[in-house]
Amino acid sequence: MRELLKHPTGAVGVTLLSLVAFATVFGPFLAPYDPQQFHPLARLQGPSLAHWLGTDQFGRDLLSRILVGARSTILFGLFATIAGVFAGGAIGLVAGGIGGVVDNLIMRLLDGLLAVPDLLFTLLIVTVLGGGSGHAMFAVAIAFVPGLARISRSAVLSVRTRDFVTAAYARGESRGFVIVREIAPNTIAPVIVEASIRVSFAIMLGATLGFLGLGAQPPSTEWGLMIAEARQYMFRNPICVAAPGLAIALSALGFNLFGDALRDLTDPRGRR
Amino acid sequence: MTKHEPSLGSEITAHHALETRGYSLTYETPTGSVQALKSIDLVVPMGQTLGLVGESGSGKTSLAWALMRYLPSNARELGGELLLAGDDLRSKSKRQILDIRGRRLGMVFQDPSTSLNPTLTLGRQLAETLVRHRRLSNAAAWKAGEDILARTGIIRPAAMMHRYPHEASGGEKQRVVIATAFACEPECILFDEPTTALDVITSRQILDIFLKLQEETGVAALYISHDLSLVSRIAQKVAVIHKGTIVESGDTREIFQSPQHEYTRSLIAATPRPEIRLSGPAPNHDAPIVLKTHDLRVRYGSRSLLQVWLGRGEPPVEGARNVELTLRDGEILGIVGESGSGKSTIARAIAGIADFSGEIVFDGRKVRERREIDRDYRRASQIIFQNPDSSLNPRQRVGDIIARPLRLYGLEKGRAVQERVVELLTQVRLSPEYAQRFPHQLSGGEKQRVAIARAFAAKPKLVICDEITSSLDVSVQAAVSRLLVSLQAETKASCLFITHDLNLVRQIAHRIAVVYRGDVVDVFRTEDFDAPQRHDYTRSLLSAVGCVP
Repeated sequence: MRELLKHPTGAVGVTLLSLVAFATVFGPFLAPYDPQQFHPLARLQGPSLAHWLGTDQFGRDLLSRILVGARSTILFGLFATIAGVFAGGAIGLVAGGIGGVVDNLIMRLLDGLLAVPDLLFTLLIVTVLGGGSGHAMFAVAIAFVPGLARISRSAVLSVRTRDFVTAAYARGESRGFVIVREIAPNTIAPVIVEASIRVSFAIMLGATLGFLGLGAQPPSTEWGLMIAEARQYMFRNPICVAAPGLAIALSALGFNLFGDALRDLTDPRGRR
Repeated sequence: MTKHEPSLGSEITAHHALETRGYSLTYETPTGSVQALKSIDLVVPMGQTLGLVGESGSGKTSLAWALMRYLPSNARELGGELLLAGDDLRSKSKRQILDIRGRRLGMVFQDPSTSLNPTLTLGRQLAETLVRHRRLSNAAAWKAGEDILARTGIIRPAAMMHRYPHEASGGEKQRVVIATAFACEPECILFDEPTTALDVITSRQILDIFLKLQEETGVAALYISHDLSLVSRIAQKVAVIHKGTIVESGDTREIFQSPQHEYTRSLIAATPRPEIRLSGPAPNHDAPIVLKTHDLRVRYGSRSLLQVWLGRGEPPVEGARNVELTLRDGEILGIVGESGSGKSTIARAIAGIADFSGEIVFDGRKVRERREIDRDYRRASQIIFQNPDSSLNPRQRVGDIIARPLRLYGLEKGRAVQERVVELLTQVRLSPEYAQRFPHQLSGGEKQRVAIARAFAAKPKLVICDEITSSLDVSVQAAVSRLLVSLQAETKASCLFITHDLNLVRQIAHRIAVVYRGDVVDVFRTEDFDAPQRHDYTRSLLSAVGCVP
């Protein structure tokens, strides 16, 4: 952790992430107004002392909406990624650990899925299942499976030839024991690094789905949805779109930089 | 080429080729600074060789980098002078250093496959140096390069010049690197373990070339190595470095005959001497046979059915063939050979890691393929690998690593497991609290002890040791091999001891099998090593190794 703060991009990433985490946890308590409350008399105001970031087309306080929206947006990203990591990681572990025909079959199938862009893939799933936050999360998680399976498999391949794995087979250990107890613990680092970068993609994808009306649905407060709703008023009060957009960009940047720094620090070649 | 003539200036002031005065260096790490070199004083006289001997981490390579002015960014020089024929290298600008490297101070690294650029022909890399430093035209440089290559004993230098590094063997590549270093007739050449990556016979040839070229050109050399017996053959003077300090230096003969410093004495004592036996007497002729192999073959790289149909892929390679070995109860059989000879392949087949054909009779059980090997066979035959960094799972505690065979084979239950782990740790001379540690908290020798404890935990009848000392420092090697022999004597296990170190195998093994290109060419009792009826290859191996004088 101390090394992470010394790493220049790591320090920026950690700072951004702590801001985001703070908003996620305490957002609803900090919000000066009720984010759902309409104020027809105070529509589309610019920043002022009463409303630091101004108000939207229904007169809702933007700052409050950003603070409250942090929770659903960030948690969406985290849960979608965690689900994707577990599924993808397990598939990669099995493919790499068993090898041979099984490996080839699984990986060729995943290669096919990998060729479909993430957004298209999620759209496809959401179209089949129907919109809504839960379905969108599931869709993003599924879209992450092929990529994470690749990462975890490549980690397995580099561990699989090490002598302690050979030693385990020479002892007569079962394949399951070797994969779960000997190989898996040594593949966690690269997967965690990849996951922390992926959270930012998940946030972006979630916001995109919200914007397209396929993720979170209107009464709820979510950054992507805020942009979508305010789109018509973009030229009358630009901050309605800019504020949630910036919030998405900064939290994505935070996870991205954090992940990059983590990768640099866990890669032994980067150390002296 | 003419013999090196000292320039006029150095005649007047009589400079040494290379000299360091009170040189100190530290590395700054996140956990504080580490002093790598403490007030180093060394002298390499003109035309002579100084051998710098030390173990890994002693700072010998740091000194080489400092002399080449190629230190990492976290290195801090605390003071002292580095003089090349009287010129202080530390006061030179970067541009001047570029001219000095190669032209006045050459360097030969440990591994020729990483020090050559894989995308350029060998000739181009050799000629480039000559063009750059001796201002020759391209054609003249190419011709001069061929001449130098011929002097390093390469049989067809003109053809070799057009080859790429991957088309040449390790020995040929190292000859090219050495030729490049000598090509510009520098004042001094640094050699950093130039033969460590090569097999016994090739490294002997490389040493002979070094001696020949040095005699012809009169170039001074700083020869860095961990191998005392090797240094004693080529250097007039020796310096011994330990933890960043020169503990002793002087004439080679004097140092070897009457070492003053305790560390030097321990180094000399740790070097294996074939006349000092470590293991007990060989078992009787009527001792039961534990292991017998018949027509054992191991193939690598079989083609898939699809590849056979399409006529693609390489045909399989035989890693070992027609291996006939017998091992009696309590016997230690040494298996020697150069790298790639197939000695590890044989071990892997017997340990049930590699697929094989033929027949293995072990402990009364006959197996004809790998799938027939059951858990009981695996319990009774344990393998110890070369590199303990890789053979111990970095995420498991030492206690769990040693306890695993006990639990797997159901040898101990409940609390008795922990008691047995402590007992095993004590047997390999480690204190019981090591059970709580992770492998990265241990030194190389300690890790190998843990691997040995794990092997003996299974109460095996056969222990297969695959180069178990070669990744360790000399002084640790001796301790680990002594430990192995004493455990072997206590448990009465048989042992296959695989190594490329002939001196060591003669200390340990009762009988020796020599493997050459996948064939067992010779099997004999250790005391008959130099008998006249030995195979030609055995004799060339023997002549290639030297002993401490």
